Amino acid sequence: MPFDDQTDADDSALLARYARGDAAAARALTARLVPRVHAQAFRMLGDATEAEDVAQDAMMRLWRVAPEWRSGEARVTTWLYRVVANLCTDRLRKRPRGNVALDTVAEPPDPTPSVEARLQSNARASALRDALASLPERQRIAVMMRHFDGAANPEIADRLGVSTKAVESLTARGKKALAAALKGQASALGYKDERHDT
Amino acid sequence: MTHDRKTDADKWVDALLDDVASAPVPKPSQDLMARVLADATAKLPPPGGRAESASLWHEFVAGVGGWFGVGGVLAAGFTGLVIGLGAIDPSDVDTLFSFGFFENYDSQSGLSAFGWDLEEERL
Repeated sequence: MPFDDQTDADDSALLARYARGDAAAARALTARLVPRVHAQAFRMLGDATEAEDVAQDAMMRLWRVAPEWRSGEARVTTWLYRVVANLCTDRLRKRPRGNVALDTVAEPPDPTPSVEARLQSNARASALRDALASLPERQRIAVMMRHFDGAANPEIADRLGVSTKAVESLTARGKKALAAALKGQASALGYKDERHDT
Repeated sequence: MTHDRKTDADKWVDALLDDVASAPVPKPSQDLMARVLADATAKLPPPGGRAESASLWHEFVAGVGGWFGVGGVLAAGFTGLVIGLGAIDPSDVDTLFSFGFFENYDSQSGLSAFGWDLEEERL
């Protein structure tokens, strides 16, 4: 069955149609949301299989909540973003810290990087995941939206329902907390942090 | 200098975030898309309705006619409790007025209850 994301329709409108039994809306929401949800989960977990499990779990929660969904209270994407972030954080907190086996890490689509580059890349991603998991929820989501989604502060503010000033504060505090959580790891990850490395 | 040190820390954390963000992300498999769609189909509400069963509380509220109904049920329950405890004689409705709710009502004290009369005197 082809997936058609029905680009013109708003997520909330599609969810309302799903709640009224429209199967085409289910296909559209799946096509539109699963790639985003999966990418977010993969960035947080670094494991393709786990990312797929989280994506399926998050979407299942969306289907369940659809009949209760109230348009205008929250964006579907923001709601999903929080669900995925929390599901991933739960999984990360259950993992042994910094201990993701290489064979569980998905092969990157580009096969050209050397083994050393891949190891470095995996180490960076793993360290960042651990550090992100230690942040308070709103700081973590603001930092991820800013850096992983490339969203500007006004857009994040709109998605989170807070002021732009609040987003600036959340991302600043989030990055400060990340720096604290990653303290002393700059050299090992291939970066230069003059504060600790000199 | 403290400010410079903070900037250095921000720089490498920013670089780390950018590097991880730019790493390639695999596309979701067709198997995942099919599983999600199967879940959606399994949970698909009937046309015009809702497949998910409403909670017991929502069913109760709907069953008694909405929130006005809930108020009525609570009032009736309270009255029944009072009667059951023997606080009033159900055969004598006038007893309700013997509780004293209205005995001390004084229209004049109502007007001066918040000290408005005192403020007016000052004026």
